Amino acid sequence: MSHTAKRLRYVLKRLLQAVPIVLAIIVVNFFLLQLAEGDAVDVLAGEAGSATPEYMAELRKKFGLDQPLPVQLAVYLKNVLAFDLGYSFRHEMPVLELVLDRFIPTLLLMVSTIFLAVGVGIILGLLAATGLNTWRDTLISVFALVTYATPLFWVGLMFIVVLSLNFGWFPTSGMENIAAFHEGWDRVWDIAHHLVLPTVTLSLFYLALYTRLMRASMLEQAGMDYVTTARAKGLTERRIMFVHVLRNALLPVVTMAGVQVGALIGGSVIVESVFAWPGLGMLAFEALFSRDLNLLLGIFLLSALLVVSVNLIIDIIYSWLDPRIEVS
Amino acid sequence: MKLKSLIGSIAVATSLVVASIAAQAQNSGGTLVMLVQPEPPSLASYLSTSGPIGLMAPKIYDGLLDYDKELNGVPSLAESWEVSEDGKTVTFNLRKDVKWHDGEPFTSADVQFTVMEVLKKVHPRGPNSFKEVTEIETPDEHTAIFRLANPAPYMMRSLGSYESPMVPKHLLEGQDVKSADIANNPVGTGPFKFVEWKKGQYIRLDKNEDYWKEGLPYLDRIVGRFIPDASTRTAAMENGEVHYGAYGAIPNVDVVRLRELDSIGVTTDGYAMINPVSLIEFNTTKPPFDDPAIRKAISLALDRQFLIDNIWFGYGKPATSALSSNYAATGLYAEGMPNYPATGSTEAAIKVLDDAGITPDENGVRATAVLDLIPYGEDWRRAGEYMKQALADIGIELELRYEDVPTWLKRVYADYDFAMNVNYFYQLPDPVLGVHRHYGTDQIRQGTHFVNSSRYSNPKLDELLASGAREADASTRSAMYKEIQEILAEDMPVVNLFEMNFLTVYDSKLKDHDLSGFGAYGSFDRAYFDE
Repeated sequence: MSHTAKRLRYVLKRLLQAVPIVLAIIVVNFFLLQLAEGDAVDVLAGEAGSATPEYMAELRKKFGLDQPLPVQLAVYLKNVLAFDLGYSFRHEMPVLELVLDRFIPTLLLMVSTIFLAVGVGIILGLLAATGLNTWRDTLISVFALVTYATPLFWVGLMFIVVLSLNFGWFPTSGMENIAAFHEGWDRVWDIAHHLVLPTVTLSLFYLALYTRLMRASMLEQAGMDYVTTARAKGLTERRIMFVHVLRNALLPVVTMAGVQVGALIGGSVIVESVFAWPGLGMLAFEALFSRDLNLLLGIFLLSALLVVSVNLIIDIIYSWLDPRIEVS
Repeated sequence: MKLKSLIGSIAVATSLVVASIAAQAQNSGGTLVMLVQPEPPSLASYLSTSGPIGLMAPKIYDGLLDYDKELNGVPSLAESWEVSEDGKTVTFNLRKDVKWHDGEPFTSADVQFTVMEVLKKVHPRGPNSFKEVTEIETPDEHTAIFRLANPAPYMMRSLGSYESPMVPKHLLEGQDVKSADIANNPVGTGPFKFVEWKKGQYIRLDKNEDYWKEGLPYLDRIVGRFIPDASTRTAAMENGEVHYGAYGAIPNVDVVRLRELDSIGVTTDGYAMINPVSLIEFNTTKPPFDDPAIRKAISLALDRQFLIDNIWFGYGKPATSALSSNYAATGLYAEGMPNYPATGSTEAAIKVLDDAGITPDENGVRATAVLDLIPYGEDWRRAGEYMKQALADIGIELELRYEDVPTWLKRVYADYDFAMNVNYFYQLPDPVLGVHRHYGTDQIRQGTHFVNSSRYSNPKLDELLASGAREADASTRSAMYKEIQEILAEDMPVVNLFEMNFLTVYDSKLKDHDLSGFGAYGSFDRAYFDE
């Protein structure tokens, strides 16, 4: 069997395995969410100021909340299998539409954060490891420790106070300048401008993690036998570091990045809230407080799918980084 | 009463003159970015009185009347009106040049449909406001005659666009009003047209070029922005990225700093129609709060001025009765009610408890209870901490509970599983609309929010409330409400804490955003930037 065919078979197998996992996630989430007191009708009526019990009963009927739980679950599962994520009665919109609308900002923030955190983390870890116990190492380690220990929301607010209010370099919040309604490249530039602060804030935390991980991993690999062999072979230190050690040291970093993609959606709630970034985290947060269960389940489902597929991608990257790890 | 219609016509004339003078003096153009928090579920102000909807919808919809800062009705879609001698017929003469945003003409049929089919049926407060309306006659396209079963003086105060928006019959008729598409794509007659709603970011309204008020509005665009974090809202305001925030969008603690800036203005005006009062509801059916004495003692022990000064930074006014002092303008507020001291007195409270035979046990504890706190922000938590301390001094031991909104609503209004609950109520421009729901026996409606959850029931009071609602004569009416307030100050089913001052924070270049009695819930048709 050729290598490509093998890889394809592997991917298909993994995807099939993911189906029961995702279904289990839906069922567990469904029952977990039922544990919360009150329902969407309570919230809507509460916000409306006052509503009659008949009106509320009618709403519950319309939302399908008057049905017994197993029936509600069965209906939901049936719809999901038909790729229908249901309807958000709070927003009066299909869940899929709402979620996709928020997915792009989330993706923007997530991808730029991962690139920044992993990229800079690797470089800093490398610099620290190659200059072990010098001022460079100490400086980077202290920086990593401080950013890791600082709460995200505080960093975000400080950026706003210093960089937006005092220097006026960046806008305080939002995804684009909504008084201007830019179009074309102006809009791209405007969004990029708004993206800087949230990305840097969210990256700082993860950056510290990757820096430390990369440093430790480099040091561990540097003591391995194959490094001694390479040195005996007469390779330059530079070549040993950047070709042999680096490649092996990257493995744990990649593993970590894969695990954290899922956490990023959750971890970004704070950043999204501070910078009013219209992402999925905020949507989930609001959906929870308004008991918009259809919407929440939709977001959870999407996150689950995302984590499953990222893990798959990570496994494939493994085999590329270290051909000894077979995709089979 | 011919006089009223005359006043109406004069007001039309003056407003036209004012408008034409204004048209020369004011700058046109500009985008107003206002804070809307939290993001509303829809823009259906005919279905929900939710605050964030109230910020946007009145810019899109008009009411039959508008209200000036003194809360007098001024013409809007109705250019004049007349209340018959017996108070049972109200005739509205509608403007003839009004068009919906989709180009259809606005007629008396829309008024009839809105009131009878929409507000009376699905609006949270509409069934109360229009309770007495039996029929609306439409002799021609521009006349609407309301026939009432009994006089309803309060109805004339609930015709503004926030409370009773006029909605298009042609887009709602024959549909389920509660799920019609217009909830997210509003079509009104107001100064601004709905353009776009980017979920999680903003709602955009653009100037209605064909607005029936000549030369208005001045602004080109209004954008409502959602910023979840309070500190970021403050920073955005300070940075000039947003120009307007009302209803506590900027927390008091930040306002204290911002009000020192020249570029920012702060006002407490614009909330008299809403009339918010903070209070404590009690479960009057169960010990320990089934005894009026302990409720009175709590009212006596709490230092209202302390709460205002230390937690709300001085914004507020101690409550002195079950009715807000804002009702003084209509003669319904009674001064000098007992049991409502501005600064608390531990001794007086202890005396009441001792006299009632509520004595301390060996640990000095007279009663224990859980105090639920309205989950609308940190201020309420701090207020709870103060109460815990203040009431410990008179031997009432409290445990604080702070839950999320749905859990709290269900506990207090559906399950009645509470003892003591801190909350705030909008008293609105008339007690029939905002206060009756708190005390009437007919308002013990399990599962309905913001009604009589104390389950206090007093036949004498019920009678007074019923006749107070129908009384057309102002002085008889105020005598009735004086008696109501006396009863409530003695029985104290609810301890009113203080009249809240919400704050509006605005860019000082923004002018005339405050011409309506509704403040932030106004139409902003004459708001402009002065630069």
